[in-house]
Amino acid sequence: MSALAWSLPALPLVAGGFLLVGRRWVTDRVAPVVGVGVGVVVLGLALWAAFARPAVRFRLFEGVPAGLAVDGLSAVMVVVVAVVALAVLVYAAGMVLGARFFGLMLVFVGAMLVTVTATDLALLLMGWEVMGAMSYALIGFWWRDAWRVEAADVAFLTTRTGDLGLYLAAGCALAGTGTLELGGLAGAGGGWRDLVAGGVVLAALGKSAQLPFSFWLSRAMAGPSPVSALLHSATMVAAGAYLLLRVSPLLEATGWAASVVAWVGALTALLLGGVALAQRDLKQLLAASTCAQLGFMVLAAGVGGLAGGTVHLVAHAAVKSLLFLCAGAWLTALGTKDLGELSGAARRYRVVGVTFGVGALALAGFPPLSLWFTKDAVLAAAAEKSPWLYAVGLAAGVLSAGYAAKALFAVWRPGGRAGERVGVLEKVPLVVLAVAAVVLGVLGVPQVWGAWGRLLGDASAPLPGVVELVVSGVLAVVVVGVSARWRVGEVRWAEQWFYLERAAGLVVARPVVALARGLARFDDRVVDGGVRAAASTGRALASVADRRIEPRVDGVVTALGAGARRLGSAARRPQTGQVHTYYAQAAVLFAVLVVVVLLVG
Amino acid sequence: MMMNENPADLLPELCVLGGAVLGLLCGMFLPRARQWIVGVLCAAALVAGLVFAGLAARRADMTVFESFVLDPVTHVTRGVVLAATLFVVVLAMRPLRGDRRETEFYVLVLLAALGAVVMGMTSDLLVLVAGYLVASIPAYALAGFAKDAAGTEAALKYYLMGAFFGIFMLAGIALLYGAGRATSYEALGAGPGGVVAVGVVGLLAGLFFKAGVVPAHFWVPDVAQGASRVVAAFVTTVPKVGAFAALYRVAVGFGGGFDLSLLLALVAAATMTLGNLAAFGQDNVRRLLGYSTISQAGYLLVPVAVAGRSGMAEPAVLYYLAAYAITNVGAFAVVVAAGRDEVDGYRGFARRSPLVAVALVICLLGLIGTPPTAVFVGKLLMFGAAVDGGYGWLAVVAAVNSVASVFYYLRWVVPMFARGDEWAGALDRRAAVLAVIAAVGSVVVGVGSGVVLAL
Repeated sequence: MSALAWSLPALPLVAGGFLLVGRRWVTDRVAPVVGVGVGVVVLGLALWAAFARPAVRFRLFEGVPAGLAVDGLSAVMVVVVAVVALAVLVYAAGMVLGARFFGLMLVFVGAMLVTVTATDLALLLMGWEVMGAMSYALIGFWWRDAWRVEAADVAFLTTRTGDLGLYLAAGCALAGTGTLELGGLAGAGGGWRDLVAGGVVLAALGKSAQLPFSFWLSRAMAGPSPVSALLHSATMVAAGAYLLLRVSPLLEATGWAASVVAWVGALTALLLGGVALAQRDLKQLLAASTCAQLGFMVLAAGVGGLAGGTVHLVAHAAVKSLLFLCAGAWLTALGTKDLGELSGAARRYRVVGVTFGVGALALAGFPPLSLWFTKDAVLAAAAEKSPWLYAVGLAAGVLSAGYAAKALFAVWRPGGRAGERVGVLEKVPLVVLAVAAVVLGVLGVPQVWGAWGRLLGDASAPLPGVVELVVSGVLAVVVVGVSARWRVGEVRWAEQWFYLERAAGLVVARPVVALARGLARFDDRVVDGGVRAAASTGRALASVADRRIEPRVDGVVTALGAGARRLGSAARRPQTGQVHTYYAQAAVLFAVLVVVVLLVG
Repeated sequence: MMMNENPADLLPELCVLGGAVLGLLCGMFLPRARQWIVGVLCAAALVAGLVFAGLAARRADMTVFESFVLDPVTHVTRGVVLAATLFVVVLAMRPLRGDRRETEFYVLVLLAALGAVVMGMTSDLLVLVAGYLVASIPAYALAGFAKDAAGTEAALKYYLMGAFFGIFMLAGIALLYGAGRATSYEALGAGPGGVVAVGVVGLLAGLFFKAGVVPAHFWVPDVAQGASRVVAAFVTTVPKVGAFAALYRVAVGFGGGFDLSLLLALVAAATMTLGNLAAFGQDNVRRLLGYSTISQAGYLLVPVAVAGRSGMAEPAVLYYLAAYAITNVGAFAVVVAAGRDEVDGYRGFARRSPLVAVALVICLLGLIGTPPTAVFVGKLLMFGAAVDGGYGWLAVVAAVNSVASVFYYLRWVVPMFARGDEWAGALDRRAAVLAVIAAVGSVVVGVGSGVVLAL
């Protein structure tokens, strides 16, 4: 059984690594086949693991147990990751991307699987960091464009800043509980527990692009569309939400973390919904909406709605990856992602248009599509904690209907122009994901919901009431209907993501750089000055020694050498080669020895 | 010590003697092309001798035939002499293959080795004389073995010096016998002071000759240069071992009314200094090694001088002997392998055969006394013994000499690693392998000194 737990992440990691380093043997033509093949096998392994529930424990460091295990939450996550990954890999196989792309994607999948199956912070951190690195490499995949690399830098640095929290959490967990087990974090004593919770929350908010970190996801859109679909909507950004859901007992135990998380999630859902509504760029709209939807999951984690948050995560993964892939298809075919220029795109590309329509309506919360129910499942859990949270969530839901409708009508408007065709490999995943976006709403059937809750160990998860469902459904329909008539204009400050990046630059990056400059100046003037002074003193002393002392020492050494040489030739003089002189010398010397003995005696 | 007259206690010596006699007989009937069989026979006899010596070393100390002492000094002398002789025999097999007098060479080597062992293990002056003669006369013949001008001259000088100091020795022993009325070492020094003084100096003269110590050192560079390379390796190593063992026994056993140690210390200082100084200007590596062995003899004489004054003297002598023997034969093996005598002849040698060059470097650094080689530990023990025995000044002289010796050893090493020069010439593979073995052995004995000294 442990072999399964190992091979699930190891297979994509090894295959991806091989694609990255073995480009001499795997050509760019073969790489998509390898990628999709590995994706299929990983999906098989994930399904097997979801049923078999393998677990393996080992020692990563002395005295610190570590492990990989698949429990209910992990089972859901591995299947979601594997399904979306396969869909995206199939889609990417239709594009011209090469072995490096598939290698990076597979390594990412492996790291994600490590993250969602790790039972301890150390292993989770490893997967977490590799995910971040792959995200960096994939955003900057077309590295010849300087702006893409810069975007990758911004995304990487921002998430890394959050990641520091996870290191803090790991250190404090070790200090507070003696282990790094995720299950034991809530038991950390005293102040350690608060520090652990703070660190975890920081890292999760960073990874999930919640406020105030949201801006990096905007920059992450510089990567290829399959990357946006897999990393920056369905899986990696969801890892933050996953982590919060995983440690929700810890958040609950601290007393403050849970409500902080809930409010950050709710506010992100609301504000980033507004950002999404103000976008003119399709991918940017989807990115902002991703932040907003992740806000619902974070909210769920904050209010302890494990079942609701997870179901929203699953449904959103399907919907959002679908929407990104559609956007990517149009970007490739038409060369634009501007909502104004995408007019008629859906009419000309029927399969893409219809699947996009399904996804957008689901995103809008249109009944009976999946997100309509899952969002209300989250809100039902929130309502148990605070009516205010519920109200904010509902408002955020209205906004999501608004931006989804905006995108929907933009692409279905008549007009526009023809472009290149979209290949069949790109279309197949769209259809599959669209079907998933529709049918995942079936989880809302009470019997199924009960089973879902038991799967995740959250059997008492509240089912949204009929009234609430009707209210949100009606709101969605109304908003979509209104949007058909009135198009929302772009508000500059919302379109620019509230200038969050500029603020971060102003509040964090600038002071840090200024401090670094100051320290560098201190280093140059004071520290280096001392070093230079020492060096010049040394050189001055050396030159004195060279001019004054060295000639004398050298003279002594030379004299010594000459003396030794003279002594050497003197020592060879007795060796005349003539035996009679040897005899004479020996006889005399032995006579001397006799005298010595006699004198001493 | 218990008395014993069991010939089996002398089995190692009997093995060597038997090997020599049997080899001589076989050699008479073997065709020239197959005389190498005698070499194998002699080697086998030496191996058997080593085995028996090893077994004997496990038994309690005793004296057999009232003149052979079986104690650690004897065990080490046997082991070192037989092992070094075995090394030389194997080293000689290639250069001597098909020689008209191949058999005689092996037999003479074995007999000389036998003489060296007898010198080292006896406690009787008359047996010492017999050992001296057995060790010397075959060595004279070996020096002139090649029948060339240089070898003949070397043999003649070697013989004349040997005869001269042999007379000193016999005269000295006669005086000691007359004064002490016994030839056993136990009676050494009894009698009137003046007679004993002259007698003991005469006795020491013979031993100094075998050990290559000033003022009886004159033959060493001449023979090292004039005799064949293998013979040079032999005569600068094996007889010295026996001679130093005998010197140590005489120094310990001497009970005269005066102290021998100052005399020995003066001789030691003079020997090491003269050997080092004279080695400075040498361009001939064999002559260089000859002087080097003189200086090493000086170091070896230091613990002999403090014999009986320091508990470290005996381990120092024995350990240094073993270390010196292995290192010296290693250096000579490189000379045999390369077949060159001039320092300049080794230009670029490291490129041609890095392993052998490194082996030579290890041996030469060993002779200087660089850690972790065996001689380093030997020198350390020697310094310790000197300071412990109250001869601090002698330790200082030895240290200064060690530093000075770096110069001429490096004069040989540096050209080997010179760039841009091609070393052209044939390499004796067997000698090369032996040189590497000796170098490795020197390091192993040095690193494992703790284990070796514990035995």
